[in-house]
Amino acid sequence: MQRQSFWSGLIVIAFALLALNWLIPEYAGVNPQAQMPPELVPNLAAWLMLISGIIIVLRGIVGMVRAGQLPLTREINPRAVAWAAWPFAYVGVAIIVLDSFKLTHAGGPLILGMLLLLGERRWYVLLGCSVVPVILLYGLSVHLMRVGVI
Amino acid sequence: MIGASIQEALTLNALIGIGGGVFMGYVIGVIPGLSRSVAIAIAIPLTFYMSPLIAISFLIGLSKGTAAGSAVSAILLNAPGEASSAATALDGYPLAKSGKPKTALQVGLVASVAGDIMATIILIFVAIPFARVALMFGPYEMAAILAFALVFIAGLSGGNIFKGLAAGGLGIILGTIGLDPQTGLPRLTFGYTQLMDGMPLIAVAIGTLALSEMFIQSEKLRYERETMAVKLEHRADDHITVPIMRRIMPTILRGTGIGTFVGALPGLGPSVGSWMSYGVAQKVSRTPEKFGKGEPQGIAASESADNAVIPAALIPLFGLGIPGNVSAALLVGAFAIHGITVGPLLLRDEPELLYSIFAGMIVASIFMLILGWFGLMIFAQITRVPPHVVIPIVIFFCLGGILLQGYGTFGLVILMGFALLGYLMKKYDYSFVTFLVAFIITPMLELNLRQSIILSRGEWSILLDRPIAVFFILCTLAALVILAQRTLQGSRQIETAPGE
Repeated sequence: MQRQSFWSGLIVIAFALLALNWLIPEYAGVNPQAQMPPELVPNLAAWLMLISGIIIVLRGIVGMVRAGQLPLTREINPRAVAWAAWPFAYVGVAIIVLDSFKLTHAGGPLILGMLLLLGERRWYVLLGCSVVPVILLYGLSVHLMRVGVI
Repeated sequence: MIGASIQEALTLNALIGIGGGVFMGYVIGVIPGLSRSVAIAIAIPLTFYMSPLIAISFLIGLSKGTAAGSAVSAILLNAPGEASSAATALDGYPLAKSGKPKTALQVGLVASVAGDIMATIILIFVAIPFARVALMFGPYEMAAILAFALVFIAGLSGGNIFKGLAAGGLGIILGTIGLDPQTGLPRLTFGYTQLMDGMPLIAVAIGTLALSEMFIQSEKLRYERETMAVKLEHRADDHITVPIMRRIMPTILRGTGIGTFVGALPGLGPSVGSWMSYGVAQKVSRTPEKFGKGEPQGIAASESADNAVIPAALIPLFGLGIPGNVSAALLVGAFAIHGITVGPLLLRDEPELLYSIFAGMIVASIFMLILGWFGLMIFAQITRVPPHVVIPIVIFFCLGGILLQGYGTFGLVILMGFALLGYLMKKYDYSFVTFLVAFIITPMLELNLRQSIILSRGEWSILLDRPIAVFFILCTLAALVILAQRTLQGSRQIETAPGE
């Protein structure tokens, strides 16, 4: 827990510093005439993140020293990491696929593929789960087109 | 006007919207792992073509339905549909296992509906006077109240105020993306025209809440797969009786009171309400040893408080425009989509809509009772749907919701980014509630801050004439100190705990 706090706090600090030194000065815009400069609120928020991040890291360090922990650990299970990461990769690939195909065309195979990866083998479940949601979405989009929303 | 508003809530379209919301909420609530906020996040795109009244009533009905539905899986599966029903499982599951699943479900349903209706009535009587007072507030007061609410939520929603503030800071930065309202210049848009209107709320909400939750659920599948639901069969002695009703009534009243109090405070979610109510019920009971072994009072205490939190969380929302939890924050987004500013201005500008929403909430409670009572067998069957089947379908609807709004591939990339952010926040215990609330209220906070700076011309002394603003500034500082101290003390206690 302390190790996680330490590393996540470092990420918060890194982002806050990035925001204060590059993102906000470069992209938040400057207007000396404005009574409230456009960068004021993002700057305050970035300072809030920086101060909070420093406290989180310090608490993490104190906790690790007291518990005799090191910042790095060898107790990482690659299989568990891979299991946690594959759905992200799958949705990432799905987004690339959806850049070229319509969701109503690619949706069924995408659901089917994920169901198979999650261990489902019953054909009627695979068929029903990959067809019914697509039909529902298709029906909804047709209805929305008819009423002129999309 | 009130008569016309009630009539508006009783039109066929409104009844279909509310009933549909409650039904959908029930179905989603019954499925373990699909929470209230996931349901609302996925459903918001469906409300685009609805009228504001039907859209909001649909979402509130959905919210109420999920709260009642989550009790079904807690009782039959011992796997609560959401965290706030965990206390229900303590007595619900043993009672169901002892051959009385229907009794357990009916006790849960009666407590849910009673808690919900009473809290809705309290909301109606409290929110309107609250909003009338709030209408007298100027930008100084509103800016101070919003800052106080953010600090309060950061400190209470996650337990670690520093992580909460860091999450809130990120939410504020992302909330400022778009055209600067005063200068009209693009701010933090990085040249993307798609970001001129700000970061798309739907992508942020669905990514942070729904898609990230599906990634967490799929990760859990590695460790836990099989679930065994208690079968619901027709038995003559398995139903709620008058003596049971008499026994649970005081518990329901107490639970509703606790749930309403907890719900009205920003940052404290329904889980706090249901556990607090359960603890108090056990403490005042003459037979506390029966709790945890199938005591109907335990179910009633948890469910009445859990359901009372939902209407009560709308008190700060309708009264001050402050969303106290994720569901309320999503409602702010849904209101904004329909061009409505929620808060005290709603009472001034569109009182008919406000009264119609209140009437719709009562109608939703009645639907909840009818659907829950007659649909028990159907909802019990839904508990048998395995989570690995639900995950791909929900992911499909997450992607569909973004594409339906016309955000295209850009929206999907944003969705994926926020899903990753939500996943990491949940994993590393950063309050995504604070993040989302901060993201949603930032435009309002910035507007009030800007107006305060312009009106005061930079003179701090003007605050001396604004005692309410000063009061809330002091409250913010006090909350910051107290909650920071609590976080530091909490970590010290963990470090010095035996066995650590």
